[in-house]
Amino acid sequence: MADAPHNAGYMAAAYVATALILLAYAVSLYRRAARR
Amino acid sequence: MGETLRHAWTLARKDLVLEFRTRTAILSAVVFTALVLMVFNFGRDPTAVAAIDLAPSILWVTFTFAAMLALNRAFQLELENQALEGLLVAPISRTSIYWGKLAANLVFVAVVEAVGLPLFVLFFNVPVAQVLGPLVGVIALATVGFVTVGTLFSAMLVRTRFAELMLPVLLLPFLIPPLMGAVQVTARLLAARPLSEVAGWLRLLAAYDVVFLTLATLLFPHTVEQ
Amino acid sequence: MTLARKGHWTTVVGLVLLGGVYVRAVVFTPVERLQGPAQKIFYLHVPAAVWTELAMVLVGVASVVFLFLKDPRLDRFAEASAEVGTVFAAIVLTTGPIWGKTVWGTWWAWDARLTSTLFLFFLYIGYLLLRGAVGDAGARARYAAVLGICGMALVPFIHLSVYLFRTLHPQPIILKPSAPSLPPSMLVTWLLSFAVFTVLYVGFVMQRYALGRAREEGDDG
Repeated sequence: MADAPHNAGYMAAAYVATALILLAYAVSLYRRAARR
Repeated sequence: MGETLRHAWTLARKDLVLEFRTRTAILSAVVFTALVLMVFNFGRDPTAVAAIDLAPSILWVTFTFAAMLALNRAFQLELENQALEGLLVAPISRTSIYWGKLAANLVFVAVVEAVGLPLFVLFFNVPVAQVLGPLVGVIALATVGFVTVGTLFSAMLVRTRFAELMLPVLLLPFLIPPLMGAVQVTARLLAARPLSEVAGWLRLLAAYDVVFLTLATLLFPHTVEQ
Repeated sequence: MTLARKGHWTTVVGLVLLGGVYVRAVVFTPVERLQGPAQKIFYLHVPAAVWTELAMVLVGVASVVFLFLKDPRLDRFAEASAEVGTVFAAIVLTTGPIWGKTVWGTWWAWDARLTSTLFLFFLYIGYLLLRGAVGDAGARARYAAVLGICGMALVPFIHLSVYLFRTLHPQPIILKPSAPSLPPSMLVTWLLSFAVFTVLYVGFVMQRYALGRAREEGDDG
């Protein structure tokens, strides 16, 4: 049976991107609240 | 109900008379349509790409632009003359204002399409004779779809910032389902395929019109509340 | 604790739990034989997509009720849900092409889920732009509600038009009438991820709602 493809790099990219987007939004909300 | 329709028709007639008296907007829309059709025709390599493959998309891009011109013009006219305030205190229902605007916009777009379609047939040399009835039918269905939503949105946007830019942005997602249906059905018709193949798309177009016409009628009063 | 603080801590908890999901997905969930590790993008991509759509539906529902009740809290909630929905849409539209590249060989194929989410993204952007362009608070709430309702009504048409097209997207394997085709460990990971995205949605909306309320009070005061 063939080996699974070696695309862990793509997985990492997607996981990192998701984390960055969520963190950036969380920080944005926090700072917008602090400014008030 | 009858009174609403009469008021709507009176409003529509007023708009259309104004429009055809000055003729500027309709002329620019027609010229624009001819221009777009010509440019697309010159832009393709006839030996590489068959007209019939591109034709449905080109037709619908052109009609969509024409509809956007109509929608922009309609409420700008009202805003310039501040006629909207006058309309709102007049003893007519909000519903008739909407239907009047809708009717005027539909007639405007229909005129542009009536000129555009023969030009399209001429430039792209596509066989429409056999399928003219169904073709006009699908053009009507799709046009009603986007002019219905567009008339509602232009009512909202006329007093907002960047109104002319906002209308296409807001309207974009609403144009895509009817456009997809229109292009698919047009393509099948021009390829002389049986209509049964596109039954799903036709149902989508019809359902879209019913849903959004109803919704727009119900929601319009909220866009002009004082 | 104020709403803003509660929302803040809910989000923090959500992010920590997300880290847990990451570990579970990457280390403790089996690798899919045909697609390889990239298949694990599924555990983030699909829950985000579900919440993107749910957030839009909630904007629509809040808008309908707002037009009847005229309660500004509903408008504030709609505004919050729309902004959070946009963020989740961004996640779907980022993870989707990355996953797609490995499965389809191309960054974009007009498949069902990505195309629908792109539509939703445009709807959200339009909604937020409209809110930004209207100065008067009363008009802003009404116009946004009208757009929100139209947007919600559009969702079934989006799905219908995308369905009528052939799609390259993998067939849905979570929600089937019969037993799901996902092996149990993968299903658990997916459910955990969905729960975490739910927590994040709630936390974000709480904070955004509180922000909207503070702005209004600041303007009036």
